[in-house]
Amino acid sequence: MNSSSIFESYPLAPNTWDEMYAGKDVRSPYQDIYEFLQAIPLEELNKKEDLAKRLFMSQGITFTVYSSGEGIEKIFPFDIIPRIVTATEWDSIENGITQRLKALNLFLKDVYHNQFIIKDGIVPADLIYSCPHYIREMQHVNVPHDIYVHIAGIDLIRDHDGTFYILEDNLRTPSGVSYMIENREITKRIFPDLIPRNNVRPVTQYPNILHKNLVALSPRPTANPTVVLLTPGMYNAAYFEHTTLARLMGVELVEGRDLVVENHHVFMKTTNGLQQVDVIYRRVDDDYLDPLVFNPSSELGVSGILSAYRKGNVAIVNSIGNGVADDKAIYVYVPEMIRYYLNEEPLLKNVPTYHLKNKDESKQVLDNIQKMVVKKTNGSGGYGMLMGNSASDEEIAAYKKEILKDPRQFIAQPVISLSSAPCYINGKVQPRRLDLRPFALCGPSGIEIVPGGLTRVALKEGSLVVNSSQGGGSKDTWVLSS
Amino acid sequence: MLSRVADSLFWMSRYIERTEGILRMLKINYASSQDNTSEFGWNPVLKTFSFLEESQIAKIEKDSRAVLRFMVIDKDNPNSVVNMVTKSRENARAVQDHITKEVWQCLNEFYHIVCEDKLSKSLKSEDPVSVLDSLIRQGMLYYGTTEITMSRGEGMCFMSIGRYLERAIQSTDILQVKFKELPADDAESVTDPSSWKYFLMSISGYELYLKNYRSGFEVKNILDQIIFNINFPRSVHYSVYQAQRYFERLKNERNRDSYDKVNFMIGKLRSNIKFSNVESIVQEGLPNFLDKIHQELFSVGDALNQHYFANS
Repeated sequence: MNSSSIFESYPLAPNTWDEMYAGKDVRSPYQDIYEFLQAIPLEELNKKEDLAKRLFMSQGITFTVYSSGEGIEKIFPFDIIPRIVTATEWDSIENGITQRLKALNLFLKDVYHNQFIIKDGIVPADLIYSCPHYIREMQHVNVPHDIYVHIAGIDLIRDHDGTFYILEDNLRTPSGVSYMIENREITKRIFPDLIPRNNVRPVTQYPNILHKNLVALSPRPTANPTVVLLTPGMYNAAYFEHTTLARLMGVELVEGRDLVVENHHVFMKTTNGLQQVDVIYRRVDDDYLDPLVFNPSSELGVSGILSAYRKGNVAIVNSIGNGVADDKAIYVYVPEMIRYYLNEEPLLKNVPTYHLKNKDESKQVLDNIQKMVVKKTNGSGGYGMLMGNSASDEEIAAYKKEILKDPRQFIAQPVISLSSAPCYINGKVQPRRLDLRPFALCGPSGIEIVPGGLTRVALKEGSLVVNSSQGGGSKDTWVLSS
Repeated sequence: MLSRVADSLFWMSRYIERTEGILRMLKINYASSQDNTSEFGWNPVLKTFSFLEESQIAKIEKDSRAVLRFMVIDKDNPNSVVNMVTKSRENARAVQDHITKEVWQCLNEFYHIVCEDKLSKSLKSEDPVSVLDSLIRQGMLYYGTTEITMSRGEGMCFMSIGRYLERAIQSTDILQVKFKELPADDAESVTDPSSWKYFLMSISGYELYLKNYRSGFEVKNILDQIIFNINFPRSVHYSVYQAQRYFERLKNERNRDSYDKVNFMIGKLRSNIKFSNVESIVQEGLPNFLDKIHQELFSVGDALNQHYFANS
C-alpha cells in the first residue's frame, strides 16, 4: 500500500503551533516516529491500537460509569502517538514551574499567617476572603516545613508561536499522574524499542519520590511512620489512580470509615486494633474531609481530622485551604507574587486574564465575548465554562445573566488556540489540540519534577477543550534527554 | 491490616470458591442430564444454590439450558456466576494494594469474560460443557496465580479462611439437600448407581471413592468420605481443619481476646467432627448433625465479622 497516505490528510489549522510540523517540514524530534509511522502497515497500527485498548481493560485501568444500577467499565481514551517535549523546552518548563511553586507556597504561608502581601497592597484582601476555598480554620496553623503544596499539577498550553503559557495552577488534589505512568507502560508494549532509540527520560521514579517526601513529613520521629492514601472509595472516577499509587508506594489505601480520631490523633482500624497514622496523602477534597468543620453530611471524611492536623499530630498532603492559591481570580496575581516573594521575573507567562469584578475589564470582556473564554473562578473539569467562539447567542445571553449575578465568580481569557499534535484517528493521522500537565513534587529537600506529565488531547475535531469530561483523551508524553 | 481489607479479602475468596463449586456442580449435572433424561432433574442443584421457591424450581427443573442460563448469567439470581464473579472482583478492586497485580488482573479478566455478550450466546447455542470448562479454567487460574504470587501474610490467611469456610458450608449444604429424602440408616437404600456416580463426580470425589471403598455405593461410605475423609479436599473435616490452620496463624499478643473467642469456636467445631463417625451421626440423626455443623460454620463467620472485620 502507499505508505505516505497515513499523513496525507493532515490539515494544519491556521495560526496554530503544530508539535510535529513546522510548515511542511517535520520537526527533528518527531523525525524518528514520523518515519516509523510511515513504514508501518495500517493493519499493524490498528492492531497496536487494539492492543492498547485491551491492555487498559485487562489491567483495570478504567473508571466505572453507573447507569440504571449497572456499572460500565470505561477507558480514558488513549492516543497511541506520543507527544514529544525537547530537552530545551523541558528545561524552561522545569525552571518556570519550580519558580512558580516556590512563590505559591510562600503565598499560602503568608496568607495563613502574617499577610504581608495584603498589607503591602499587592493582592486585595477582599479577593482572599471572598474565595470559597479560603479556610479560616487554617489561620495561624503551622504546617510541617511550611509546605502547603506537596503535589502540583500545573497546566501548560502553547500559543501560535510555540510559547508556553500557564493556564491553571492545580494545587488541591490534582489527578492524572497514574496516566503519566501507565501510558508509558502501554507505549513500551505497543512500540518496542522506540523509547530507548529516542532517548526518552523515564517517569517510573515518581512514586518513589512522592513516598520519600511523605515519609519525611511524619510528625512522629520514627523510622517507619504509617503513611496512608485516603480515597473517597471505589465509586470515584480516579479510584484506579488511588490504588495504583498506593500499590507503587507500598502504603495503605484507606477510606474515611477506616479512620478514627481519638484525643487529636488519627488511627486506622486494623485486625489487630487501632494503629496510629502519621501521614495522610488525601484524595478527598477539603469540603468532605471533616464533617465536624466542613460539609456535615460528608461520609467520605473523618470527624476530628482537622483538629489532629492543627495540633500537628498528623501530616496532611496537600494541605488544607490551598484553593485560595489556585483560585482563578488569584491566578492573575501570581506573576506579582513571584516578583514580590522571590524578586525574580516570572519565567513562564500567564494567559492574559480579566476579572469580571472589575468594571472596566468586565465591559471589555462583554463587548468582545466571541473572542473570550469565560470560566468560574472555582470551577474545574471544564464544567461551567463558556467558549465565546462556539457558543450560541442564547447560551451567551444566559451566561451573561449568570455573570451579572455574582461577577466575583468569573474570569475571562482571550481564546488561545492550543497547539496541535498528530493523533491516530480512524485510520488516519490528524492534528488535535492538546495541553500538558507536569507533576511537581515539593518536599523538605526541594522541588522535583519528573520529566513527563499528562498530555491531554481534545479528540473532537476542532475542539479546544481537553478535559476528560468533555471528550478529551490522553497521550504518552516523552521528554527527551539532551 | 485494615479490618475492611481483611473483610474484602475474605469475601473475594468466598465468592470465587462458591463460583467454582457451582460451576463444577453444573457441569456434571448437565452431563448427567444427557445420560438419563427420565430420572434426572435439576431440583437438588437449584435447591442448594438458589433461593427459588419450589414452584419456580418446578418450572425450569427439566430444562437444562434454562437452568444454566439462570445459574450462570441471570443477574436477578444473586447466586449466579456473573453476580458472584462481579462481587468477588468488586472486593478485589477495593483491596488492589493487598493482592498482587497478577491476582487482580486474573479476577478482572474473569469479570470481563462473564460480562460479555459472547457468553450468553455460547450458552444458548454451543456445547455447555466447553463453556463451563472455560469458566472453570478461569477459576483455576485464580487459584494458581494466588498460590504462586501472593505473600504468605495475614491477607492470605483471611483469603484461605474464607475459601475453606465457604467450602465446608457448601459440602454441608449439598449433603443436606441430597439426604433430605433418604433414610440414612438404611444402608441398602442406594438404588440408582449412576446417579451416585454423578453425585460424587460433581464434587470431584468419584475417583477417590473408587479407590477407598470396594463394595460399590453405600450411603455410609459416601457420608464417610464427604464428612470425615481428611484426604478429600472437599470434605467438611478437611475444610474445617484448613480453616483452623490458617486461623491459628493470626495469633498475636495484640488481639488476644478476639483470637481466643474465635479460636474456641473453630476448635469446638473441629472436635465435633473429629470425634464423630458415621455410626454416631446415624444414631444422632443425620439432619440434626448437619444442622448443627451448618449453624456452627455460620457462627464462625459471624464471629470473624465481629472480632476481625470491625462490623460489630
